[in-house]
Amino acid sequence: MVGYARTFRQSENGGKIKTMRDLKHLKYFEDLLQTAHNELIAKAKEDGKVCVAYTCENVPEPLLNLDRAVSVRLSAPNTGSMDIATYYMTNLLCEPSRALLERAIEGGFNFADCVITPDGCTMMNRSVENMELLHTMGKDNPHFFHEYMEIAFKNTESDVQLAVLQCTNHILKPLQKHYGIDVSDAAIRKAVEEHNRLCRLIRAIGDFRREEKPRITGYEFHVLCLATYMCPKYLVLDKLEETLEELKTREPDEKPWRARVLLVGSEMDDSGFVKLVEESGAYVCCDRFCFGSYPGRIEIELNDEEDALTQVCRHYIRNCQCPRMMNQEKVYGRKQYVADLAKEYGADGVIYEQVKFCDPWAYERTLGSAMLHTDFGYPVLSVDRPYNIASSVGQMRTRVQAFVESIEIKKIQRGGKA
Amino acid sequence: MKTVEKIINPVKRAGEQSPGKIYDEKLKVRARREWRGLKDTLYDYTRWLYLMSVLGRFIIVPRNVKGFFRYRWMMSYLFVPHGMDKFTIGLRDEALRIAHTSFNFVIADVTQAIANCFRGDRRVGNDKAYSDKCVITDENSMVTFMMGFDKEKVHTILREVPTMFASNIFHQFNVMHYLDVAQQYGIPGDVCPMPEAEAGISIDDDFCVLGCCAVQNNTTCDGSLMGNGIIAKRLEREYGIPTFQLATPLRHKEPDVLDYAAREIRKAIAFVEEHTGEKWDWDKYFAAARRVNDATRCRIAQLEINSTPYPQFFGAAFSLYNDTNYMGNSGRDPQFVEIDHKLLALAEQGYRAKRMYAKEYRHRAIVWGVQPQYIIDQLYWLLQCWGVMPLADMLSIINTDMIAEEDTPENREQAYRDMAMLNMEMIMRNHTHGGYKVLLDDLWELCEKMNADIVMMWEHMSCKALTGMHGMFEEQARERGIHLMWVSHDLCDPRVFTRQAIRDQVNNYMRTVMREEPLDPSLENIPDSEAY
Amino acid sequence: MKKLVKFPLILLGIAAGFFVVTFTIYIFNLDMKATSLLAPFLEKWYDKLERKNYI
Repeated sequence: MVGYARTFRQSENGGKIKTMRDLKHLKYFEDLLQTAHNELIAKAKEDGKVCVAYTCENVPEPLLNLDRAVSVRLSAPNTGSMDIATYYMTNLLCEPSRALLERAIEGGFNFADCVITPDGCTMMNRSVENMELLHTMGKDNPHFFHEYMEIAFKNTESDVQLAVLQCTNHILKPLQKHYGIDVSDAAIRKAVEEHNRLCRLIRAIGDFRREEKPRITGYEFHVLCLATYMCPKYLVLDKLEETLEELKTREPDEKPWRARVLLVGSEMDDSGFVKLVEESGAYVCCDRFCFGSYPGRIEIELNDEEDALTQVCRHYIRNCQCPRMMNQEKVYGRKQYVADLAKEYGADGVIYEQVKFCDPWAYERTLGSAMLHTDFGYPVLSVDRPYNIASSVGQMRTRVQAFVESIEIKKIQRGGKA
Repeated sequence: MKTVEKIINPVKRAGEQSPGKIYDEKLKVRARREWRGLKDTLYDYTRWLYLMSVLGRFIIVPRNVKGFFRYRWMMSYLFVPHGMDKFTIGLRDEALRIAHTSFNFVIADVTQAIANCFRGDRRVGNDKAYSDKCVITDENSMVTFMMGFDKEKVHTILREVPTMFASNIFHQFNVMHYLDVAQQYGIPGDVCPMPEAEAGISIDDDFCVLGCCAVQNNTTCDGSLMGNGIIAKRLEREYGIPTFQLATPLRHKEPDVLDYAAREIRKAIAFVEEHTGEKWDWDKYFAAARRVNDATRCRIAQLEINSTPYPQFFGAAFSLYNDTNYMGNSGRDPQFVEIDHKLLALAEQGYRAKRMYAKEYRHRAIVWGVQPQYIIDQLYWLLQCWGVMPLADMLSIINTDMIAEEDTPENREQAYRDMAMLNMEMIMRNHTHGGYKVLLDDLWELCEKMNADIVMMWEHMSCKALTGMHGMFEEQARERGIHLMWVSHDLCDPRVFTRQAIRDQVNNYMRTVMREEPLDPSLENIPDSEAY
Repeated sequence: MKKLVKFPLILLGIAAGFFVVTFTIYIFNLDMKATSLLAPFLEKWYDKLERKNYI
């Protein structure tokens, strides 16, 4: 699913037709996502940056981008065999966790100067622990470190206190101790400012998805958004700004999509999945998955009354949509959030997806798909999928196509056009 | 590879020499009970009468009969004597008495728990005044936050214990229905069956409905945390029972989570006070704390005896008793103290007499990992069939620190941290979560301390916390010369691995790797895969 | 006097009878065999109960 030069959809007679003009930098971003140790990470290393690797959206990103630190979310694009990782972790753990370990063993993460892992989900935690025990990273770096931290469970001030303490002890202090990173309040505020600049860009680009005739596809948006996690942010800003300018004058496709869907679920490292959904006729008008734009690219508002660290932690806790947030306000709130996004972006239906063997999303998908249907009246498709969709394209396409047809039928039954 | 000294039992066991012969493949229960020699058979018979009396006292109460016919999981309790037989296979003398003392008490406790549920259940007893003083807790939840409430005035209802946890011990198939329901509603089959079954019971509307409030916990694991949402939704929206989610940090060895955990305990207590109208009583709390310490001391003493060549309190009895005492009781019930001391006295007696419970002790095993409920009796089988003595299991290796037990202003503050620590260090979770050191390093230290040459690793296929370290276990066991025997299972779903399939993993290892013949060949293949 | 001797003998007889009956049930596992015959009917009973199943 890589290297697509054109965005296309099926015409009524089954052929493929060219649609919108290609985005100038799309191929560039697609190429960046083909390898974990991409050229921008190499550039950052040359620039003397400290690459802070992380695996979970619950870690406050600005804190990993202080001073000369740059955050890089670990991923394992184009993963094929995971035999060695499977030996260490068995085939009962989710594929992302195994894919990451496999890539680490292969030496794919040797750029990392440290790894910060929350005990958010057991599997990802075990993946990183295996990396540590197998000494997969930092062999030539005496300052390399692994840190594991607790993350918040509920949306309370007590959890904010916990988050502040954890971030201080397991992010700020180690970065300062090992790499002399400036972790002052001023440094945090500066990092938040840069983070917000990126968020504004992504939000502005993403807003085009609200249009009835959107001028950016869900796939294109996903590529751009994912790149902001996998690459040092300061090196993608210029091309994102150019892309935004390009979009302002881009002509959208005349023919409307058959359906608009909101994609919800666990991490989506494989843009091919989004492309598959769109090839099946459903426009991915919004995303609510791990390392997507909601809530990961919402601006952080800071005031001068309180220290920046506490405000950042509070922002992450308040906006967190991770299934492991356990108080009922959050449990119901996540479904309301999805419903609100669906309404805001004009979604006809919701696709709840999870990577196979993901425990948190297994339950969240069950409850979410039930509530989105019964409480909010949305048609829902609930699927699990492999880390790399290439291994089950046919099955998934059938499911999505059937879902799109069901949405069309419902529209007809309501008296609207398909 | 590490080796241990083989010990041959100088005393010939009275009665049945081949207990495997009493299994009949046509029956779902044994053809007859084990003959243990006159003295021990008569003792076992009196304990059977006692169990019958417990069950009889339960069933003569009309509302309990109503509850019996309303809830599917109740059927398991018809097979309690059958379960007791499984847990006493081949036992004589002190070990038999220890198994009965501990189990009978646990069974009486569970029976009372069911009776309490039915009393308050809106569909059965509907005693509203009673129900309004009940606090429901969920799957694998420590009840430390209830230690300071008068148990006569505020009742803790561990809903999952009689419905899923205990019922699967007595009837291996009983939980399958709830798993099927959960999966029918979309929960995938790869998640841990314990919280999945709990969710399935809720979806199937097969939980007793009672209580003024519910406290849910994120212990043991991700699955437990996630199942809470499904259950809480029904409790709150359909039954109007408010819920509180007690967050228990995972990194329990790190000091920087303790204060948060203590704050959560305070909130849980305040929640219970608000909804029950009862106040926390420090006298009650410190009395319970003293009992917790006493139980800890007794458990440490039992482990010390098990570190010697003559272990006495071992197997399923040890594990389940510790679960009940530590998790389900948390010092609240004074009766446990007497039982603890009785068990310790029996163990000391057996140790002094150098009692052995198999023809030979060939190996000493630490049993690690999450154990399957429907074949937890395998630990006795391990001893009788292969002479492998199960010294301790992971679920029994819990907190060994004393908590503050004197009522002072400083200790009242410390008490919240103590309760939080006990919560975080709850059974199973204190090793499956909190970093790899508590899972790996703790095991090797235990092997050293208890002089074990084998680790029987329960590989619960849905427990990602454990299976995620599979390779490391292998490598580190190899480095230390410890035999690592993997035994896969799916906790409470016998369809994935039947009982014989589980035993065959041990049989194959003992024959092919250890090159040994069974002590008792009649036990190597038992036709009980369809049995209750 | 005869009653004083007879009464304990009757009690002993009852106790002996009780022991014989219960011990027979115990040693031949008749209680569990009976229960295992009952179990399938109970399962059918539970299957027929109406329940409100939902998430």
